[in-house]
Amino acid sequence: MYETIGIWVGAFFTLAIYSFLYKENPLYRLAEHLVVGVSLGYTISITYDITLKPRLIEPLLAGSHWILIIPAILGLLYITRFIPSIAWLSRYPIAFLMGTSMGVSFPLTMKAWVLRQLEGAMAPLYVSGMNWSEVAGNIVLILGTLAALIYFFFSKPHKGLFFGTGSKIGIWVIMLGFGATFGFTVMGRISLLIGRIQYLLGDWLHIIK
Amino acid sequence: MLNIDRRWIFLAIGVVSIVPFLIGIGMPVSTTVEVENIFDYVNELGKDDAIFISFDYAPGTQAENTPMAIAVMRHALHNDVSVFLTANQPLGHGMAIGALHYVTDPAIPDFYESVSFEDWSALRDAGIVDKDELVSAWESEGNVLPEGCSGWIFEGRDYALLGYAPVFNLVILGMTNSIEAQYPQDAHGNSTGEMPMLRDHKSLREVDLALSCSGSGACVWWITYAREKIGMPVAFGVTAVMATDYYPYIQSGQIIGQMGGLRGAAEYEVLLYENGVTVTTGKAFTGMDVQSAAHLLIIFLIIMGNIAFFAGGFHKKTALKGRG
Amino acid sequence: MIVLVGGILMIVQYFIPHQYSQNIFNYYTEWAPIVGAFALILGVGSLTRVHSHKIRRKAKNWQFSWAVLIPLYGMPFFALIWPQSLWGGMEEPGIFDFVFMHIQVPIQATMFSLLAFYIASAAFRAFRAKSALATVLLLAAVIVMLGQVPIGEMLGRWLPETGLWILRYPNLAAKRAIMLGVGFGILATNLKIIFGVERNWLGGAGK
Repeated sequence: MYETIGIWVGAFFTLAIYSFLYKENPLYRLAEHLVVGVSLGYTISITYDITLKPRLIEPLLAGSHWILIIPAILGLLYITRFIPSIAWLSRYPIAFLMGTSMGVSFPLTMKAWVLRQLEGAMAPLYVSGMNWSEVAGNIVLILGTLAALIYFFFSKPHKGLFFGTGSKIGIWVIMLGFGATFGFTVMGRISLLIGRIQYLLGDWLHIIK
Repeated sequence: MLNIDRRWIFLAIGVVSIVPFLIGIGMPVSTTVEVENIFDYVNELGKDDAIFISFDYAPGTQAENTPMAIAVMRHALHNDVSVFLTANQPLGHGMAIGALHYVTDPAIPDFYESVSFEDWSALRDAGIVDKDELVSAWESEGNVLPEGCSGWIFEGRDYALLGYAPVFNLVILGMTNSIEAQYPQDAHGNSTGEMPMLRDHKSLREVDLALSCSGSGACVWWITYAREKIGMPVAFGVTAVMATDYYPYIQSGQIIGQMGGLRGAAEYEVLLYENGVTVTTGKAFTGMDVQSAAHLLIIFLIIMGNIAFFAGGFHKKTALKGRG
Repeated sequence: MIVLVGGILMIVQYFIPHQYSQNIFNYYTEWAPIVGAFALILGVGSLTRVHSHKIRRKAKNWQFSWAVLIPLYGMPFFALIWPQSLWGGMEEPGIFDFVFMHIQVPIQATMFSLLAFYIASAAFRAFRAKSALATVLLLAAVIVMLGQVPIGEMLGRWLPETGLWILRYPNLAAKRAIMLGVGFGILATNLKIIFGVERNWLGGAGK
């Protein structure tokens, strides 16, 4: 019974959102506002239950881990943002999170985003057993990466053999990449619609399995 | 023709998305090496291994991400691999709960029967934590596996719903040292220290794979903070919009494989079905017929739009405007 | 100063395996989620302020602001006085689970699915092969789109193979170049924030 009512409510709101395709209307606006409130309400509840209660409140109430008062006070300083005279205090928790996360991510980002990618870019052009499309692909891979990097290098004019020709090849490679992304984007958007159709036809109307 | 009311186009896409479901063609889906790598990797895992499935997506992209997460979860549970469920955002936490419901729903084929942490506490206290011994002991107490059920799954041994934690990138980093320190309790309030799967897999160093099902760039955190710090294998299950961006990670070996969009989920479902893990494919495979029809319509619209544009001489008018 | 000290400390601790360094790391990874959780206060406060002003001033569509505020405070209320509804109710479904699964999920999923309609409309109205580069982009898109669906395989084996070749080589090259650029940008921004050159993240909180 609970599930049936739930699915009918879900279908109602699904159709309310789809009604926007014809014309904006109060039902759509209601659903639009509801989703904002519900998502933040859900976030607050989950954050309190999963994070604050077991990690902060329960250890403090148990009389152990008094050091947790420090992050608690830092966190509560966020409230000062709403009091203009002492709003500057809210910078402390932001600074704590920003500085430390920037620091901790620096060496790992260097490794993941730069070093490993440079390593991957130095791929062998030919290894025994490769077919022609793989060899051609590796050539495109190495030269294409270099050409695309040249295209994005704006400190020098794109003229001459290296920068001029390189950036011209680079833009073609980039267009192929963006074409692939566009194709996948279309696929992705359609997939989201497919999910909703499956919900309406399957879970709600039981026309399909 | 270019001034056609766009609501006709909306109607066309709506019709094209509904009709293939009613006809139910079931065109075959071939698999790619990017998805096969994930399947083969999980297939090699067994009851002493564990994986993380991170629900790093919101309900907006659940049509693509949920089938991926469910497919891998079913595969892992079939092989008695312990599954940790996490989320990088509160709405992802809800998605993890929904996925668990789906996998344990008796109305859906290939379902599992869940035993809560509390219910098997006596067996746990008696030191019975090995999966085969646990199932025998549980059934000898008079518990009968429902008809059509794929097997028992025990909370704390087969799965743990760890859930959401804020600043999730740092939580991943913290889990490289200790999972229990980051999650002293799971989402159901059970102490993680008492869970056999946490005793066997104390940190991410002892976990065999992290699958990040993501609708945003959060999946990259698993590479940055887990793969690069401790060499943990990572796989991606991402939306199609993002899938093309992560091919460099596949080539560099930073991820073992990737499921991209509904197609990726459909490929994994096909692999599960062909290898006898599931008795049927799932929602992603069913949706591929609609995907075919919709893609043909979009290509048709692109061609017609360009024909109308060039035939109507609009490209010349735009050029003239530019000079003026 | 906090940013400078915290940033340099966390960079340095990565390279020091000593127990003191690990203790700093452990304290930080335990405290950061707690501090981060309190950031919700800002979101709740802003939303409440905006919508309560709308209701007080009877601004346009002010009635819908109640649809934001009621669940915003109602859901934590259900979570605190009826906590078993918070756990998704594997045995007993609850109000909390109901609101999330049958209101939040359908609405948010449907809102994202509207994009399918808009991309179809854009395909007809906006995607033009006005230049050679645009033509290459559209051709690559068409090949990849057809290669990814079963009907493409039925039209010819070359379609999915070509599509995959485009994904694994030229697409990879382009994305890698972008990734390297973004990676260097992230590192530069990190250093600028740590050394105080970049202060936009401070916002307008007081002076």
